[in-house]
Amino acid sequence: MTRSFILSAGIGDPALADPAMAAQFVTAAETAGVDLLLLGRHDSLLFDPQVIAAWAAPRVSRLGLVPLVSSRIAHPFHVARSLSAIDYLSGGLLGWCPVAQGGSAAQLADLVRATRALWDGWDDDCLIIDKESGRYLDTTKVRPSNYVGTHYAVRGPVNAMRPKQGHPVLVCDAASPFAVPGIDVVIAAEGQAFPAAARRLLRVDPDVDIAAMAVRFAAGEIDGLHVDLINPVVELARIGKALAPITQGRPSAGTLRERLGLPLTLRNIHEEIA
Amino acid sequence: MPRPIHLWAFLQGIGHYPSGWRHPGAEPEGVFTMDYYARVGRLVEKGRFDAIVFGDQLQSRGVRGRTPEHLAMPTLDPMALLSAIASVTQHVGLVNTLSTTYWSPEGLAERFATMDRMSGGRAGWNIVTTAHPDTAPNFGDEDLPEKSQRYKMAAQTVAQAQAIWRERNAALGPSPQARPVFVQAGQSGDGRDFAASIAEAIFCSAPTIEEGIAFRNDMRARVAAAGRDPDAVRIMPGLSFILAETEAAAIAKDQAILDLADEALCIEYLSESLNCDLTGFDPAGPIPVDHILSQTCFPKADIGRALEKPAAIGLPLGKFASGYVRTPRGHNVFRGTASQLANMMIQWVEAGACDGFTLQPAYMPGELEIFVEEVVPILQAAGALRMDYPGSTLRETMGLPRWPADMAA
Repeated sequence: MTRSFILSAGIGDPALADPAMAAQFVTAAETAGVDLLLLGRHDSLLFDPQVIAAWAAPRVSRLGLVPLVSSRIAHPFHVARSLSAIDYLSGGLLGWCPVAQGGSAAQLADLVRATRALWDGWDDDCLIIDKESGRYLDTTKVRPSNYVGTHYAVRGPVNAMRPKQGHPVLVCDAASPFAVPGIDVVIAAEGQAFPAAARRLLRVDPDVDIAAMAVRFAAGEIDGLHVDLINPVVELARIGKALAPITQGRPSAGTLRERLGLPLTLRNIHEEIA
Repeated sequence: MPRPIHLWAFLQGIGHYPSGWRHPGAEPEGVFTMDYYARVGRLVEKGRFDAIVFGDQLQSRGVRGRTPEHLAMPTLDPMALLSAIASVTQHVGLVNTLSTTYWSPEGLAERFATMDRMSGGRAGWNIVTTAHPDTAPNFGDEDLPEKSQRYKMAAQTVAQAQAIWRERNAALGPSPQARPVFVQAGQSGDGRDFAASIAEAIFCSAPTIEEGIAFRNDMRARVAAAGRDPDAVRIMPGLSFILAETEAAAIAKDQAILDLADEALCIEYLSESLNCDLTGFDPAGPIPVDHILSQTCFPKADIGRALEKPAAIGLPLGKFASGYVRTPRGHNVFRGTASQLANMMIQWVEAGACDGFTLQPAYMPGELEIFVEEVVPILQAAGALRMDYPGSTLRETMGLPRWPADMAA
């Protein structure tokens, strides 16, 4: 299978919480062929990225929405529920990027584990929805998670369906690292230490030499780029154009996981603990 | 001109009847798709509703880890649904239920502030304290705080959130409504006083017009006693409805939906209501009163009293459960024609029993579509319902002062 180049961009500008501006940003990112749009920055969270991701869900057809989820205020029970909903509403185009915002990396990892444990309380195929027989759900496919971690204890089952993608795509910003198995995408600057992940994106400035980056991708050094946008609409247009030779022709259908070739390897919490 | 009627759509999964999802006009798969919510959003705007309200719980339905097989769940997180609906609508208010016991002031303040901005000023907060004991273990606790403690926490959390919104509005520029519209549904003395102190709209149950008048008068007096203007508070009782061409046909339709609740569904529903798993008992056998009283975490005295008579006459468990599902719990249940419903609504509002209604469709979206197509035009022709929205924010739509006094710098 050909490796697909991954283009990621992040917006930390508070203008993201202005719907007219947010609409422009989302359209510009889709047009530029962005795969992952990070909503918020680890050092700049003046709004709730999960609300913005939900608002953007009906507006995307291939763009992956990646809200930053801060362990400063998030609780796994709330996170599991809202991300499940956004994953369905976006048609399976959701990722998430947990960040510590001054908290500990251990707490952040625990937030990820607890949230996954809640999702794993429901099997993919638990819904029956048969009007004729009156059976809605196969109850043998739902169970309490009984998760007890270092910072969170959550019993479950969570009152939310398992996300459409099983788990949304897990993104780690090396600027706020956490150590759990099964990280899908890591974003790290040149020379920066980063946890193991299925895909590695290099953090670059908006004015980076795209041609040089394409060479590094072809050599297998990186799986794609992440750009922290300062002037989103202008920069997205330029980057999209410059990258067109390597981003064109990539698959545009399916869920974010399917498109990026990132199947869910951890299917439930028991695997993760074992 | 009659007094204006305010309409809210209380959307709970696929409808308010536990068997509603089995109705031919119900679309249970829809609750996992954006298309469904976009259609519902357009429908309520066509009906010129003030707002969509989602109830919420922070525990899964079921008993002791056993999830029901016949009830339509799970559903999706309301805040995400309302934020997505904001994106595809222009006018309708978006009222989200959020717990003061299990949300931090920082978390909820940020969430509502963002939602108020993204919706152009249409956010509302149904303030709840969370009453179900199964919630606590989902947040690392063994037990819920007791009720009066929860109301104390609620008042503190709201005050802290107000302080955060004032700071944010000063630093970032005010969100369109400065803060979400406050909605409350407390029925007890504690609950009513809390509502009187802060609520801009109150959801309640009023099974008869007399009870509606009594509740509204009581609340208006409490609001005035709290130093607030009673005319700046909307009282919005729940209203279930089943519509058909004739009253007899509506009654038959209601019965047909209730008949979709088979014994297995009814026993699961009863199990959940008693917090005691009864699915292992023979539906033809006696009501296991001792087992229920030993298992339930709800007040045993009340439950014992409710079970005493049916147990004494030897009513089988299945029959008892079926009867329980068919008993309306507090809300007004209307069965009849569109014009009868419109007349009843106008009469209630004219009599001072309420300022509008929180509609609880039995199944979705079919029953709500019938309401919008058939009842809304009658209300509009009578001058009781607006033809167009007066502005863009939820407070404008509800006819309330645009800037809440507590948000002054």
